[in-house]
Amino acid sequence: MQVTIKDAAVLPFYGAGAIFFLILTLLMFVASNRFQDHFFQAQTLALVHAAALGWGTMIICGAAYQLMPVIFERELYSSKMAFTSFLALFTGSIALVCSFWYFHIGLLMIGSGVLVLIAAILYSINVFKTAGSAKFNVQKLFLMASSIWLIITATVGVLLAINLYKPFISFSHFEILKLHAHIGFVGWFLQLITGVSSLLVPMFLFGKSKKTNLLYLSFAFQNIGLIGFTIDQALWGSSTRALVYFIIIVAGIGCWLIYLRDIYVSRVKKKVDLQMRYTFISKVFLLLAVALVPVVMLVSGNEWSILYGVFIFLGWISAIIFGKTFKTLPFIIWNIHYKKEHGKRNIPLPKQLYSEGLLVYQFWFFIAALFILSFGVLINQLIVIQSGLLLWILVALLYVLNVAKVFLHKKQSDGITN
Amino acid sequence: MELQISDEFFAEKTKAVEALYQVLDPELMVNVIDLGLIYELNFTNRKTIKVTMTLTSKGCPLGEAISEGVRNALGEKFPEHQVEVETVWEPQWTFEDISSTGREQLGF
Repeated sequence: MQVTIKDAAVLPFYGAGAIFFLILTLLMFVASNRFQDHFFQAQTLALVHAAALGWGTMIICGAAYQLMPVIFERELYSSKMAFTSFLALFTGSIALVCSFWYFHIGLLMIGSGVLVLIAAILYSINVFKTAGSAKFNVQKLFLMASSIWLIITATVGVLLAINLYKPFISFSHFEILKLHAHIGFVGWFLQLITGVSSLLVPMFLFGKSKKTNLLYLSFAFQNIGLIGFTIDQALWGSSTRALVYFIIIVAGIGCWLIYLRDIYVSRVKKKVDLQMRYTFISKVFLLLAVALVPVVMLVSGNEWSILYGVFIFLGWISAIIFGKTFKTLPFIIWNIHYKKEHGKRNIPLPKQLYSEGLLVYQFWFFIAALFILSFGVLINQLIVIQSGLLLWILVALLYVLNVAKVFLHKKQSDGITN
Repeated sequence: MELQISDEFFAEKTKAVEALYQVLDPELMVNVIDLGLIYELNFTNRKTIKVTMTLTSKGCPLGEAISEGVRNALGEKFPEHQVEVETVWEPQWTFEDISSTGREQLGF
């Protein structure tokens, strides 16, 4: 097996992300009663960072490194830098989750935050250097903007960690925490996913849309809304004006979803595979999370903000990752084993490197796990929450098993897969 | 790509196309001929086969594997020839280039 530096830069993200996801589901079960509390709890913050960094950012960064050459139509600027960013993100995420779980404020929390910030800066340099003089398109805008928002999110996170240790911010720590979370959701995750999906969905579905202006509008709305919210929140704290920024951002999400719908309707490939179904169902969870925002703002009760987080991390981001993992990882491994053999003899295809059966089971358990957990949070019943969380462990086991099957694939000489 | 019976290398090109039917795009699982990726096969002399082809997208992570597949398949069929593969981006590939058989396989 010949692993090139290019592969070495991407593969660790997938491996580490899968393990993090399993650990996340185990931690969620251990801290199941946290799903009934206010989110500003040490263990909840540990869970959120495990989900946002160890799971979401880890896999999404890996996939972004893999897809940048497709998006920018040129080689990744530096694979070594990408691998260094993995080391920083991996160690930073573990240390940060531990520091929150045991609530060790001080050097551990600050240092791990700095490591995550270093990972974000390295990722951003790679994005900008790869994009360089590449042909201008809206996807380039989304990727570059999201990488800047990632740096801002990580910077605010480090400042919050310092503030916990030695308070220096004159505003409420809690207000800045909200800012940190929303910049992460809208700036980093939403903008990256909007950019990448607007290129990949047409590619996978053989769809076309002339409504590219919708994507530019989406970019403008998402950024105007987020910049407005950031400045307003940082200067004057929470207010009902947040609803205005929220509506602007929702308009941005709407433009993007209309564009994707146009692609879906005009697609020539009628049969939609399971990976793409994950992508589409993820949008449903995003819309559910968006619908909850006014409720979180206007109605009291912990369940709404917890539910919002569940739909964002376990619904929207996880569904995208489940689909995209098996649209990218098997191809990377297949390339390592069979690139030189292709056309010479009967060799397995990338889709034979993972189990489609496991992916189908995982899909239905995922839907059930999300539904039961959400229902448990809504009715505030620990036993229902725990049942949902047990199903989440099962979902993670199925995912890890399938990822391991791809990683451990042994090169075949007669076309029979292992 | 169309073959002309009047072509001096008609027999060789037919044999080459047959070989290329075995080279699949690993993602789409359709061969490179039905996908319309092969623009030209040139038997300029008795020793070299020059293939002009494209890919479904620039920067395709499987691009090298597909080009390698073309090189390997032709190399096996024509061991006495040297195979040169050139990837071009003009004219740009679109899904209108897929043959009716390819469309059927893709479930269009």
